[in-house]
Amino acid sequence: MIVAVADTGPLIHLDEIGAVDVLSAVDGLLIPQTVYEELKAGTVPPALSNLEYELVEADPTELTVNLNLDPGETAALAVASDRSAVLLTDDLEARDAANDLSIEVHGSIGVIVLAYHRDQLTKSKAAELMRALQTETSLFITDSVVEQGISLLENSS
Amino acid sequence: MATDLTERVQEIAEARDVAESEILEQALERGVEDLWIDLVLSRYVNDEIDRETAIDLVGRDRVKRAERELQVVEDDVQWGLSA
Repeated sequence: MIVAVADTGPLIHLDEIGAVDVLSAVDGLLIPQTVYEELKAGTVPPALSNLEYELVEADPTELTVNLNLDPGETAALAVASDRSAVLLTDDLEARDAANDLSIEVHGSIGVIVLAYHRDQLTKSKAAELMRALQTETSLFITDSVVEQGISLLENSS
Repeated sequence: MATDLTERVQEIAEARDVAESEILEQALERGVEDLWIDLVLSRYVNDEIDRETAIDLVGRDRVKRAERELQVVEDDVQWGLSA
């Protein structure tokens, strides 16, 4: 049973490659109200309306570490901590903060691979989406690193 | 795309008050530099060159960033395959 809370990164990056629906691979998706407001400041991905998710309030005052993150990332971290949920973020600093708090954290690539593992995508489609994350979105990631991830996926049984 | 590039070159040249040819020369230099960095990091990630060589060629910060990204991607793939 995977309950995950998303910050804006995976929602935006997966939308940029037309793959918001892979978020249905998790068993329960939480979106902090703060994150939703950040999306509304731009454009809420229309495909989000096809997903089941719960809008939740966050209480960042409960966090015990000094964070230098934006409000959405902080809210997502607070919800993950409060609900023992997996944090979904593509931000390296947010990942570090989650690790400091012993919160399980993964990103868009993890969600795509999970969707493959749960038979929502073929292996080739998952590889295609991973490559698209690098070439077609605002996510900064070195291309050879993505290719390494794809090799790991392709060599899995 | 070609129209976009032409218009951008014109706009940059006007803003900097230099010839369009100079902007194109700078763009080529930057583009080749980026592609060179990609190539070096790719060779490092694929174990074709060692860490110190990669650092000499593109700098410690870029190598450390690539290492961090690699750690994250491998962690994500393993999680997705086993969760």
